[in-house]
Amino acid sequence: MTLNRNARIAAVVAFLAIVFVVVPAAISSSGRFDLYYTLTSVALLSIASAGVWLTFYIGRINIGQGAYALMGGYVSAILVMNHGWSFWLTLPVAGLFCAAASVLIALPILRLRGVYFAMVTLVLTEVARLLALALPITNGAKGIVSIPLPGALSIFGITLIPDFATLQNSRLAFYLLAVTLMVVCFAVMYRLVNSRIGKLCQSLQQNEELASSIGVNIAYLRVIAYAVSSFFGGVSGAIFAAISQSIYPSSFTVTDSVNFMLNCFLGGLGYVFGPMLGTLVLYFGWDLLFQTGQFQLLIYSGLMIVLMLVLPNGILSLAEMTRKKG
Amino acid sequence: MEQVIANGLYLGAQYALIALGLTLIFALMNVLNFAHGQMYVLGGFITYTVYGQLGLPFVVALLASGVTLAVIGALMEKFLFRTVIRRSHREESTMLLAAATAFFFDAVILLLFGEKQRGVPKIVKGVFNDAGIIMPYDRLVVGALAIVFIAAFVLYMQYSRVGRAMRALAQDRVAAQLMGVRVDRYSMIGFAMGAMLAGVVGGLLVTITGVNSGIGGPISIKAFLMVMIGGAGVVGGAIAGGFILGMMESVGLTVLREYGDVTYLVIFAALMVFLSVRPNGLMGKPWG
Amino acid sequence: MAEMLEVSGLTKRFGGLVAVNHVSFSVREKEILSVIGPNGAGKSTLFKLISSFLKPTTGEVRLKGERISGLAPHIAARKGVVRTFQETTIFKNMSVRDNVIIAHHLRSKASLFGFFLGTGAANADEAAFGQSADEILALLGLSSLAHETARNLPHGHLRALGIAIGLATNPSILLLDEPFAGMNHEETMRAVTMVRAVRDRGVTVLLVEHDMPAVMAISDRIVVLNFGQKIAEGTPAEIRDNPAVIAAYLGVDDEDAS
Repeated sequence: MTLNRNARIAAVVAFLAIVFVVVPAAISSSGRFDLYYTLTSVALLSIASAGVWLTFYIGRINIGQGAYALMGGYVSAILVMNHGWSFWLTLPVAGLFCAAASVLIALPILRLRGVYFAMVTLVLTEVARLLALALPITNGAKGIVSIPLPGALSIFGITLIPDFATLQNSRLAFYLLAVTLMVVCFAVMYRLVNSRIGKLCQSLQQNEELASSIGVNIAYLRVIAYAVSSFFGGVSGAIFAAISQSIYPSSFTVTDSVNFMLNCFLGGLGYVFGPMLGTLVLYFGWDLLFQTGQFQLLIYSGLMIVLMLVLPNGILSLAEMTRKKG
Repeated sequence: MEQVIANGLYLGAQYALIALGLTLIFALMNVLNFAHGQMYVLGGFITYTVYGQLGLPFVVALLASGVTLAVIGALMEKFLFRTVIRRSHREESTMLLAAATAFFFDAVILLLFGEKQRGVPKIVKGVFNDAGIIMPYDRLVVGALAIVFIAAFVLYMQYSRVGRAMRALAQDRVAAQLMGVRVDRYSMIGFAMGAMLAGVVGGLLVTITGVNSGIGGPISIKAFLMVMIGGAGVVGGAIAGGFILGMMESVGLTVLREYGDVTYLVIFAALMVFLSVRPNGLMGKPWG
Repeated sequence: MAEMLEVSGLTKRFGGLVAVNHVSFSVREKEILSVIGPNGAGKSTLFKLISSFLKPTTGEVRLKGERISGLAPHIAARKGVVRTFQETTIFKNMSVRDNVIIAHHLRSKASLFGFFLGTGAANADEAAFGQSADEILALLGLSSLAHETARNLPHGHLRALGIAIGLATNPSILLLDEPFAGMNHEETMRAVTMVRAVRDRGVTVLLVEHDMPAVMAISDRIVVLNFGQKIAEGTPAEIRDNPAVIAAYLGVDDEDAS
């Protein structure tokens, strides 16, 4: 959306205010503390979905983010449980581990296109699950449980973040953590898309041969984007593991990978904030429909189909449509 | 050894039928039918209802499965996919629709048929036991039927007017249109046929392994695997992929039995290596 | 004059089919060399071989003495061999100016990360690119269309944009793929002027074409291919009277033969 600069700054400030001030205040006063978990989930899932969006941005369909979420969760859990690391340190490490793994995986598969790439990534999620079941370090089907809450984060003796176990309301703490990271994640994405790198990726999407002929190292660009995408997935998974204080091979399945992809589609593949909106709508939609009992999945998928028919380019494409009319 | 091969062939024939349906839809419309596994399940449940519950002859049940799924497939193409393909900016948008339909199918199946595993009485009793191969007769019949259907399908695509039109469409949509092929009509027929194939296999296999509402997803994934191996959009590829996966499963389950789920890990790892060498599968049509 | 590009014994086989058969020639610095031949003569395959989009079966291509055949396309571009394409040679959904700016990629001094962070080097690059893009657009008569979406451009201007993109990379040699195809006489003459302007900037030009009058008007030298083999090489005057060339074109209607 092309708002002028002041409008954009105002929008950002408003958004931050809502997320950091208004929401916590509203929840405190209404006593609906369970909403913290819902919103935290939305934030974390949108980070993972942002990764998937980035893969779309370089022209690939990524249905394998669940694998990296699972990987990140396990890396963090194992480092904390078996090696006594501080959770805060495991967070970037989990992300980097996933990024590194994704580079190795990317080398053979990134040249695949379209459905072939999509299907391979779908398989990836299953592979991750099977590996988690088979490897001794991941403790098989029993998973890793009783993961302690994140400890304190102190630098030079100054406590930046208190030990979560000491907090009265760790849910609020997790919420703030998730939302902060979400803001950072989308800020990074926004900058990426609007910088020259974004233009390079668009050139990749629009005409690969031409991009190559003007010297763009397509393979390199793709691998970097995929690594960043997987980093997001890993971080998201690591925090989930910390919240639920456990991780199992079934913590992230193919369904989750598909959902991350769906979040992107629903929000709109052409818009940076698409994944955020898509995750919000799909997650809340699913939650709200809980009351319909056995018809939950039916109505949910039915609505999704209707939405696709009406807005095949995602919810945010409404912005373009109103602009054309007005 | 012969047992492993026999099992592999039997599995392969079933899988090939599933893969054929998926690859047909992909070839015609560049759509990956996420709901393919669910169509299989629905076909299985219909046969269960008609043959198992109502007691009608098995052939009638199979017919019911095939026709119902064909109609559903046609409706899906006409009212859902056609609209989205026309209006979306990006080719991949159909994936969201396909995934949504898969969920929808899952929901409907769960509501109509419940969660329990269902089975039907054997269509043929007795076991074949000769030349080192032990194979129940019903598996032989089902396997033979599958091969008959595959052959019929291939012949139909090769020689019938409808088949040729669909092949032209799959090769080059624009050229086919210019030649007067009614693209919309044949897309619909193709989708219907793809769905029908899935339904028929479901009907066939419910007599052997039964059916339950949860296996839709895993079957879809297996179908994708086959298409990846053999190559998307090509009939020969689907058949090859189906038989290869059938063989690999049969071998793997026998040889690697001690190691549990490792069979599929091995298959996946081999697949990744294979795809890095042959990005479009054995004979696949390149995307885009 | 020094040799800019040297093609030696270049051969490309596709299974049993030999598309390019032992072709050798060189392109001198700052000359305009055209490759012509009847349909199916192997011109576009030759083009792809030279610009590294295909690997030769045998033979090699050297740029200023350095071997470039078999390198990845973006590396060949980096070395200075840049090609334009026949149709849709542009980034459809970007503006004309953005198209040219993005094509400056090879000239960027800042790294990808630098661009992400917005470092001084990156900003300097972006400013330089903008200026250079404006200059190139002016050279090719596209300044008034700078902010138009590329996809909306009329045909003749699309070609100009394709050339602009090529120029932006600061190539040593620019390969133009049928730059005059589908143009009427007036458009062709304008395009000829553009190509001359490109050469006058110091860029060597190698082009593949069917349009005989244009080729005769613009080329310093011409290479003729038929059935994948070189059958003639020389100045336009020499080629026009060459019996082998005339024979190769027999059966093609008068409009194409010189």
